[in-house]
Amino acid sequence: MTDWLFYFFAALAVVPALFVAVSRKPVNAAMNMILSLIGMAALLVLLEAFFLAVLLVLVYAGAIVVLFLFIIMLIDADSAPSSGVVTWLASALAFFLMVFTALTLTFGEWAVPFAERGDMAPAAVAYAFGVELFTRHILAFQVTGFLLLIAMIGVIVISRKMKEPAAEGGSAQ
Amino acid sequence: MPTTEELQTIVAANNWTAVLPELLLGVLALALLMADAFWPRHRRVILRATMAAQGAVLAYAVVLFLRADPGVVHVYFAGSLVQTQATELMRIFFLASSLLVSHLGWVYLQNRSLPRTEFFHIVLVVTASLMLLVQAGNFVLFFVALETLTIGLFILVAFCRSSRFSLEAALKMLITGAFSSGLLLFGIVLLYGLAGNPLLPGTAEDPLNFAQLGAFLGATGAAGEVNAAQPLALIGAVLILVGVGFKIGAVPFQIWIPDVYQGAPTPVTALLAVASKAGGFFVLHVLLAGPLAPMWDTLFPALAVITALTLLFGNIAPLGQHNVKRLMGLSGVAHAGVLLLGLLAAHTVDWAFAAVLFYLCVYAIASFAVFEVMAHLSPEEDSDQDLTHYTGLMRRHPLLGGVLVIGVGSLAGIPPLAGFIAKALIFVAAFQAGLYALLVVALLGVVVSIYYYFGWMRAAVLREPLEEDPGDGRWYPQPVIAPVAKFVMVLLAVVTVVLGIYQAGLTEVVGLR
Repeated sequence: MTDWLFYFFAALAVVPALFVAVSRKPVNAAMNMILSLIGMAALLVLLEAFFLAVLLVLVYAGAIVVLFLFIIMLIDADSAPSSGVVTWLASALAFFLMVFTALTLTFGEWAVPFAERGDMAPAAVAYAFGVELFTRHILAFQVTGFLLLIAMIGVIVISRKMKEPAAEGGSAQ
Repeated sequence: MPTTEELQTIVAANNWTAVLPELLLGVLALALLMADAFWPRHRRVILRATMAAQGAVLAYAVVLFLRADPGVVHVYFAGSLVQTQATELMRIFFLASSLLVSHLGWVYLQNRSLPRTEFFHIVLVVTASLMLLVQAGNFVLFFVALETLTIGLFILVAFCRSSRFSLEAALKMLITGAFSSGLLLFGIVLLYGLAGNPLLPGTAEDPLNFAQLGAFLGATGAAGEVNAAQPLALIGAVLILVGVGFKIGAVPFQIWIPDVYQGAPTPVTALLAVASKAGGFFVLHVLLAGPLAPMWDTLFPALAVITALTLLFGNIAPLGQHNVKRLMGLSGVAHAGVLLLGLLAAHTVDWAFAAVLFYLCVYAIASFAVFEVMAHLSPEEDSDQDLTHYTGLMRRHPLLGGVLVIGVGSLAGIPPLAGFIAKALIFVAAFQAGLYALLVVALLGVVVSIYYYFGWMRAAVLREPLEEDPGDGRWYPQPVIAPVAKFVMVLLAVVTVVLGIYQAGLTEVVGLR
């Protein structure tokens, strides 16, 4: 049963992801991305990483893709021109190379031994994430705050209209 | 699940005083925004106070460096933060770069109606993240600091938003930056997954930690299988190196450099060329000497080919280039090649990394001298700085001309100047390491580089200034040089000359690993 669920959700994660890459209309790409993320969240549920699954749906499908859709609406994006034969061939080659590498890494002679799921640290609950974030990775966590701050300031700086320098209390020197 | 005692031990190791300079920069950045919001009329005073405060942090970093013992490694924040004498030196490097970039920003922004406070704010945050990046001891802090740096640079590159060159540069940098971050992250995740596999010999408890990852990759199983030889580990390591390669602009990951260096405002070009590149090289050394050291034999051929290509491209591409910002970008690729050569030598010759640090310092001083001149001579459209703008500079502005000749001469590596000694040290290290083929390529590159750097000097010294305005926007802008700017330029030029003759000071200072 779990095996079939895995195959179903894995296909749900991979096939729409392919459409994200090849669809020419930005809206279709964004909608496919939601589907792919839902498939990935379901895979995380199968791995018993429930908290991560919820976060993935909430943050990515709920917030980020909706943001994408808003931006697509605002800039009224046209569909991209269809790509040439060379691009298609190169993409197909890259795709098959990727699949081949993945298969060799999983089943072929490059494979590493599979660990049982029970051996892994449980990442099921928010507690586990909180403990890691606020003890071991507190410094990186704080730096993330600055990252978000400068991202916000950057958006304001790049999007706002500037007054003439005379109106701001004299030139700088 | 960790017990309370374990958590308490981890929290006790979170020694916040160890990151005091970075904390001070962060607080300064926040205070700057608040002060600007409350007293917008006193912006000039606030910005001057910020620069003075930065100078104070720099002085504190110098004290920290002088107090640091060579060879002693401090580890804080559960392995996130690793401090050595070399990272203390890089703190000074980044703080000094930040001060000089702020000064360039002051010169650049004074005639333009662009936001000033935000520029200083982002430069401060970028500097703090660079300082944390070189001290990172695990991939979490490494990636977060790197992303803070990259996002800050996107904003700064797009800062002159009325210029379409600036916006184009920012878009190109955004795409290549996001792409390279994706590759880097994928590589990190592959190594994380492999090192956390309990069925492999020497499983790491914290696979993101540099030291534990290095120990895992070096471990050998009962049947004699080596983790470093796992194809998955190799793919992960190569992806990480490609990601870092984009940041330092090594060939074939240099595609973004010319357009971004041209379109970015001149102070930001200086930040990219000096501080960001130095951070990338330091991190590359940390990775190659730490977690990826067990894979050296497999990685070396690829790195050697990249070094040779970087040296060749960086010295051939700037030939015939008339835009000086593109020239600085493309010749920066050549300097990246020399630095890569130094890093390769550092694997066998133990003083070679000190030579790399010395090269970075000398390169920074000479580059800032040139960028100071460029910031003063930049026309209305900043990205349109042509060699014609420099014709007869020596006659029009002897100070700017003199500083330019010394800076460019040092970048070219002409004997009495510091750049010559720096290049010579790297070449001697490469010779001792037995990298003869690469050394030949590098020496040929130096000969070629003197040609295009001389073209710039010739325009400034030998050619007559234009008599009248040709009417295509190439007429000389009239620079107003403030006393502070004169002092900074003369200081940079004097240091370049002095280091070319007497190096005991700086070589002793960087004589560490």
